Amino acid sequence: MYTKDKKDKEDGILLGAVAYDPKVVTIWEGIREHFREQGVALDLALYSSYERQVEELLAGHIDIAWNTPLAHVRVRRRTGGESRSLGMRDCDRDFRAKVIARRDRGVRGLGDLEGKTLAVGSRDSTQARILPLHFLSKEGVRVDRVRLLPFDTDLGKHGDTGASEIAVLQAVQEGRADAGAIGDLIWVTEQAAGHVDMKAIDLLWTTPPFDHCMFDGHPALPPAKAEAFTRALFAMRWENAEHRRLLELEGLREWLPPREEGYRSLEEALAAETRANG
Amino acid sequence: MMSADLAAIAIDGGELPLGGGLLALVRPALDALRPGGVLAVLSSSPGLRDDLPSWCRADRHEYLGVETTSGGADRHLIARGRFSVPRPMAGGAAPGPAASSETESSGEIVHPAVADPASGFAPRGARLEPGRPDYPFTLNERDRVAPPEVAQLYAQAAAAQWDAARDIPWSKARQLPGPLDAALAQTMTFLAENELSALYVPSRFMAKIHPAYAETAMFLATQLADEARHIDLFLRRARLCRGGLGVSSVATAQSLLSLLTTDDFMEATFLLSVLGEGTFLDLLAFVERHAPDEATAELARRARNDESRHVHFGLAHVRHGLARDPALYARLESAVRRRAATLQGIGGVPAPLQDSLTLLAAGSVEPRAVSRGHDAFQELLAVMHDSRIKRLGHAGFTPEQAATLSLLHTPNFM
Repeated sequence: MYTKDKKDKEDGILLGAVAYDPKVVTIWEGIREHFREQGVALDLALYSSYERQVEELLAGHIDIAWNTPLAHVRVRRRTGGESRSLGMRDCDRDFRAKVIARRDRGVRGLGDLEGKTLAVGSRDSTQARILPLHFLSKEGVRVDRVRLLPFDTDLGKHGDTGASEIAVLQAVQEGRADAGAIGDLIWVTEQAAGHVDMKAIDLLWTTPPFDHCMFDGHPALPPAKAEAFTRALFAMRWENAEHRRLLELEGLREWLPPREEGYRSLEEALAAETRANG
Repeated sequence: MMSADLAAIAIDGGELPLGGGLLALVRPALDALRPGGVLAVLSSSPGLRDDLPSWCRADRHEYLGVETTSGGADRHLIARGRFSVPRPMAGGAAPGPAASSETESSGEIVHPAVADPASGFAPRGARLEPGRPDYPFTLNERDRVAPPEVAQLYAQAAAAQWDAARDIPWSKARQLPGPLDAALAQTMTFLAENELSALYVPSRFMAKIHPAYAETAMFLATQLADEARHIDLFLRRARLCRGGLGVSSVATAQSLLSLLTTDDFMEATFLLSVLGEGTFLDLLAFVERHAPDEATAELARRARNDESRHVHFGLAHVRHGLARDPALYARLESAVRRRAATLQGIGGVPAPLQDSLTLLAAGSVEPRAVSRGHDAFQELLAVMHDSRIKRLGHAGFTPEQAATLSLLHTPNFM
């Protein structure tokens, strides 16, 4: 159901977020307090899946949803592009996925993946499944000839927990898969932490860039509310100790304005999937 | 290197992959650059062409690109991002250009006039990553905390530490006849009780001192160690007496309670170190002079040496404060008057103390000897008053102020 003319609530902004981890409460209670200091009343509705959150946004039960790229692209499609994109994290821009491979399995180029086992993340994970496979197929890899070892952890969370990416990395390190697909941030942070055996694992390929999460406003969100939301959001500063605690938990240094071009590849991938499924 | 304002740096990463130690070279180099400053990473690790741009994205630096050098290696260029650029500590209006690390590296200590609340436990001179929490230190102004001599006083105190078990000739402690044994036990009981208060009173302030003035906290740590040693010392001597410990009087208990409940650091230093421990210098000299044996004389002498450092710190603290804050004298006088008011009705020196010191100086219960002991005790009181006045003069008080304050001082000595 998509309710185009949602009835505006008087009592501030109601934001939806998916509780993929207990820290989500800490993050949003902190941001709610920051909004209060900025004179903006914000309340929070937590969901256990992005599918439900998207429906609640479209039905007008919440004003804004903090969405994964998959949820964002669905909201854009369902509202005919009339939803109001409000902002994103700096780290949501130019995300990439990495295809990594064991050095001892003879995988030297993308063509070598055919016939091999490729560990991938949850089927609703943009960075560890949907887009790596989409980009591989655009590179000419016959994905249907690659044996997928999927880790469908936390379905509905769209890969937010990172659990499936860690599982992919482990499967490759332990030799249960010849290769694997994970997001670039997990790849470099796991390397920086010394968790990756670089003698055993090599980077095979990096995908083109794509964008990640987005605040999606309902099409009928009053401009004053949208303006109040972005004003308070963009006032958060990395140099402020209280803000930094929250930004660090949410994985960003600063909030940035929205942009749509970074979601084209995901739209294409979903359209291709729809075509393939008949 | 560590000034965080360099424009360009080059490092050689050899074959190191990103997850194989390269970051130990890259991150410190980036930290030494100003935002926008460029780091060149020479590398023959092919994986870096993919990994370095991703790491730059994760750490918010700008990856500018890669070029191949004539030697065939890659040269990656990174522009330092604008987040988490370490800043110098805010130092208030310290003398000279700033309380910077450069000034300190010459060996001279520069305490900031006002401490940076966000510097927390970062040692003075360290650069601070921004976005840090404020610490709740309340003693955060130089003039209230750190006299210029404090580092020197700390160094002296650290060099002068000693061991109560090893450095006192305990075998030379003598058994005394009954009344003299009890008098010595009483004196040691009194000294230990007062030194316990001297252990507790400064400790109330240590955790409030901003670490920008760490030398003051460190000096107080030596003072606490001294007091701990003295407590041990006096109790060891008391326990060598046959009759066990003496009496703790209400007068002493009230006097020390009024000291413990003083909430201002400067006032507490003044009451404890200038007036109390200052008076104790004369008391310990008296005990040394009239000690019945070599062990007792030596412990009094060594304790007095330690106490004189505490008095020096107290004098420096108060003198520095008086020179910069004309209102301080009135505050200190009212602190002394407040304390005297709570001790009204106590009368003179606590009787157990007066009697034991009299007998100690007499060295005998023979009446003529006791008469000499009585005179020696009266002379002690006069000497204490005179030295307090002299000491207060050194601290910066006028002779009239000094006389007033000395007369108001507690009859308990501490």
